Amino acid sequence: MSLIKKIVTWARIKSPWIIHFNTGACNACDIEIIAALTPIYDVERFGVILRGTPRHADVLVCSGPVTRQIKDRLIRIYEQMPEPKFVVACGTCACSGGVFSGCYNVEGGIDQVIPVSAYIPGCPASPRAIIDGVVKLLASVDNASKPAKELVVNGI
Amino acid sequence: MAQALFNIFVFPGFLFVAAFGLTAEYIDRKLYALMQNRIGPPWFQPLADFIKLSAKEDVVPQHADKLVFKLMPIVAMTSILTAFIYIPMWGSNALFAFKGDLVVVMYLLTVPTLTYFLGGWYSRSVYSMIGAARSLTQLFAYEIPLFLSILAPAMLADTWSLSGISEYFSTHPWAILFNIVGFVIAIIALLGKLEKVPFDIPEAETEIVAGAFTEYSGRLLAMFRLAIDMELVVGASLLAAVFLPFGLHYGPAAGFALYLVKVLFIIGLISLARTIVARLRIDQMINFCWKVIAPLAFLQFLADLILKGVHN
Repeated sequence: MSLIKKIVTWARIKSPWIIHFNTGACNACDIEIIAALTPIYDVERFGVILRGTPRHADVLVCSGPVTRQIKDRLIRIYEQMPEPKFVVACGTCACSGGVFSGCYNVEGGIDQVIPVSAYIPGCPASPRAIIDGVVKLLASVDNASKPAKELVVNGI
Repeated sequence: MAQALFNIFVFPGFLFVAAFGLTAEYIDRKLYALMQNRIGPPWFQPLADFIKLSAKEDVVPQHADKLVFKLMPIVAMTSILTAFIYIPMWGSNALFAFKGDLVVVMYLLTVPTLTYFLGGWYSRSVYSMIGAARSLTQLFAYEIPLFLSILAPAMLADTWSLSGISEYFSTHPWAILFNIVGFVIAIIALLGKLEKVPFDIPEAETEIVAGAFTEYSGRLLAMFRLAIDMELVVGASLLAAVFLPFGLHYGPAAGFALYLVKVLFIIGLISLARTIVARLRIDQMINFCWKVIAPLAFLQFLADLILKGVHN
């Protein structure tokens, strides 16, 4: 790996900007994601900032099973993000569809629609598990041209 | 020729201002975190953000004006760097100085706001157009008090050049005590110019996503962020040169250290304001600027006029 590539990879690991998107969750995971961004957990230590627009973000944090209504919007937001981009499925429903799998209005987990890099199980996933998931995802980014290996983070 | 290139690209040009701007952003964010009982970002955070954004994909929206969209970050950066050349750092002499350089510096520091407006407007996105219109509305509110508050010391010193103002106040140090109100007004107006809390209405992320920068990504966003950091440093240097002209005759080394202390003091005041106040609405901001700050600036101007008449 050349020196410039090393520096760019280092910068990517040190500066993950996230955008949060609710794909049909019951709000429990959303509350936990917001809790992870409060001063108690202080994610700015790792360079994490919540951005409002997909154009600025590197990591798309999705919560909830993908409903048929939200599917097109999820794909659109994913495509609005500039490369390289990563998707984190946060919560059991986002990982597999959870209790909603098989419903007539639900497609299933996030990975049924867009490629997912990290799975964080838990109902809801705790703030510590979410931070651990994002940090482990970035630690596994050694070559940004390839998507990161799939990760499963244990809920704390 | 080599000297000119060194001045443009290394010191006091691009490299120095960029490094100082990134450091200033770190200090601002760290102070903000410490005042909120957090640990805050590590020292390399602004640099990592800049490198990461530079290595990301540039997305230009389909309906945007491509030329204006790509040109505006460069125009913002260039005008800020040009303004910095005329601001004295240590001693009372800037690198380049002529009789009316105060007017040129104020004019060049207005250009970045116009670039935010044009960049946001030609993105053709709803949020960025609202943000752009707000940043131009805000321009008319803070610019008059800022000009008036900087005009008062210039009138007292009887010169339109920044070097002349520094020279006058280093020989008449007591005179600066009459400009304390002007200094406070200038800090408040600078908050509006830099679009910092409580005047971050144009990029209010809880209402209009990211304002004029909503559609910017990758390298163009990195340049805009760097331009904002540079504007922070250049604005603080301007206020330090006009309102805090102490210790200008201790030679380059001590003078440069003193200059850094003055600029960091002003940056500290800006982070303090960011911590203790919340965002105003645009109409509240305009009312505040026109009904409170601008009359105070006029009073400051009158006080200096009377002082000048009594003194002569």
